[in-house]
Amino acid sequence: MFQITDVPRILPEILLLVLALLVLGSDIFERWANTDAARLERVRASAQLTAIGLGMIFLIALVQSGYVYKLPETAPTNFFTNILHNLQSGGPGQRPIIGVFATDDLTMISRLTFIGAAFLTSLLCLDYHPTSNPAEFYALIIFSTMGMCLMAGATELVLIFLGVEMTSIPLYILAGYFHGEARASEAGMKYFLFGAMSSGILLYGMSLAYGFAASAMGGNGVANDLTQLSKIAELSRQGGPLLTLSMVLIIAGAGYKVAVVPFHGWSPDVYQGAPTPVTAFISTASKAAGFILLFRLLTVAYPSLAGSAILNANLGGWTSLLAFLALLTLIVGNLAALPQTNAKRLLAYSSIAQAGFILLGLVAWAAPQAFDRSQGTAALLYYLVVYTLTNIGGFGALAAISMAVGGDDISDLNGLARRNLPLAVLFAFCILSLAGVPPLAGFFAKFYIFMVAWQTGAWWIVIIALFTTIVSLYYYLGMLKAMFITAPASEEPLVAPVGIMSALSISVLGLVILGIFPNLILGIISRVQAVAGI
Amino acid sequence: MTRAIPLEAVLVVAAALFCIGLFGALSRRNLVGVLMGVELMLNSVNINLVAFWRYLEPRFITGPTFAIFIITVAAAEAAVGLAMIIAIYRSWLTVNIDSVDSLKG
Repeated sequence: MFQITDVPRILPEILLLVLALLVLGSDIFERWANTDAARLERVRASAQLTAIGLGMIFLIALVQSGYVYKLPETAPTNFFTNILHNLQSGGPGQRPIIGVFATDDLTMISRLTFIGAAFLTSLLCLDYHPTSNPAEFYALIIFSTMGMCLMAGATELVLIFLGVEMTSIPLYILAGYFHGEARASEAGMKYFLFGAMSSGILLYGMSLAYGFAASAMGGNGVANDLTQLSKIAELSRQGGPLLTLSMVLIIAGAGYKVAVVPFHGWSPDVYQGAPTPVTAFISTASKAAGFILLFRLLTVAYPSLAGSAILNANLGGWTSLLAFLALLTLIVGNLAALPQTNAKRLLAYSSIAQAGFILLGLVAWAAPQAFDRSQGTAALLYYLVVYTLTNIGGFGALAAISMAVGGDDISDLNGLARRNLPLAVLFAFCILSLAGVPPLAGFFAKFYIFMVAWQTGAWWIVIIALFTTIVSLYYYLGMLKAMFITAPASEEPLVAPVGIMSALSISVLGLVILGIFPNLILGIISRVQAVAGI
Repeated sequence: MTRAIPLEAVLVVAAALFCIGLFGALSRRNLVGVLMGVELMLNSVNINLVAFWRYLEPRFITGPTFAIFIITVAAAEAAVGLAMIIAIYRSWLTVNIDSVDSLKG
């Protein structure tokens, strides 16, 4: 039963919906002139509304989660503590709402990640191209964010499907948003085709899982709930070919969303062709949402099929499947990045390679001890947060450069340090963090995930992952060389918009702080162990 | 309840439809054809869900609910897809996948 007290628990989602409608409406009610200056004014108005709104929703979600400040039980009652108390009553740790939407720590942390990423993305496009209907662009970003929040919290097949589609459909439109550019429409089309096909595959897997649960229940209970599914799979020991097939299909479907290697074909094209702020959003928030979905689906519904990733022992189950995918992803992603001449495409391959590292966090689920498993979860989430910050920074810097120079090849980066030193330094921080250079958060994230994978017994992947990290240094340093050593094509200063610079500064600040004091968020992240239903 | 048709037969039809859809989506060169293949895949899922529901747990409504959601979302997806095909046609003057290939490497 849905109760009125459940409303504060889904407050961020409700607020996102309201904000999206508000942004759409704010543009309709105004009668603006049709000149270019007026259009830019409209873009600014919608973008500022989006950025301010998302920032406020981020703060509300942060207060609600109680991670920064938790209202003590003995606080005096007045107007403000009442509001705070009601808000925090929707905090982590209750039964899922009507059995379909969990508001546990995993949902809270992923919500903060997605809304934060959307906030930074809206900063990135504060000064973007004027289009005919700018408000749509920002409203679609917010709708997609809401879909991601639903995806992260869903504990039941129908809501998972709806979350996935609500995330993807706005992103298809966003990827091909600027009609004038042939490249953008091609990127949108490719994203759409691969995405639609992958949701078909995901759905077929879900329908098989539903059928399996329904037949095992014999008509005595709801068969679409993830926890029920895991109990049934546990009872029937291994579950047989039907359950395994459904698991493989679900991994394939979700693998498309996170672009791991056999399913990565779309991502370089889409990342290169889409408007750069949208690329930043797709490569971070949407990928993080895919990983959260994969994590919840596999650990809640299929824990009995986890298997092991230890070589020579009994390979089998989804951890060894994921270990294999991680291996392919690391090797192909890093090697394919080497010959790239387009900076956006290079970062696309680099983000494929990063997905390989993130998969290692899921492989850690093979560990027999619960402690190692929760370490794997913490490493996975820490990597996701850091990766989100880094890639938004990286693509944000590219957005500034391509807006000023008109291209995003590596040769367009030449001599950036002489044309705009702050931009070059911030971009360099993001690249070094992607490469995993020590003081930055990227290093600790990689170190943590390698350590966890090694403890699990998957040392063979860790060794190969270390090699691929060294390979990746080549192309990351190539970008740095272009920025700091190669002579620029022209000496005139390159002007970067304020919005992009502030988003970039926020993410680099986050990288430095999280790199030096990882404990700041590790304490929060390690609470996730108790995923709903385990 | 009559069991003139066993559940397996329905599932085989759905699986065949899924495979035809997947093959169509992968092999068709015309974008509209690809979209039709994807729709076939989604419809095979609907058959699966309704069949599982009817044969295994007719007292609940999960199966048909899921199927109706899929139909709705598939309609939204088709709308976006067709709009994109029009956008492609406007900038490329063709809807053939092989000719739309400025992004590669």
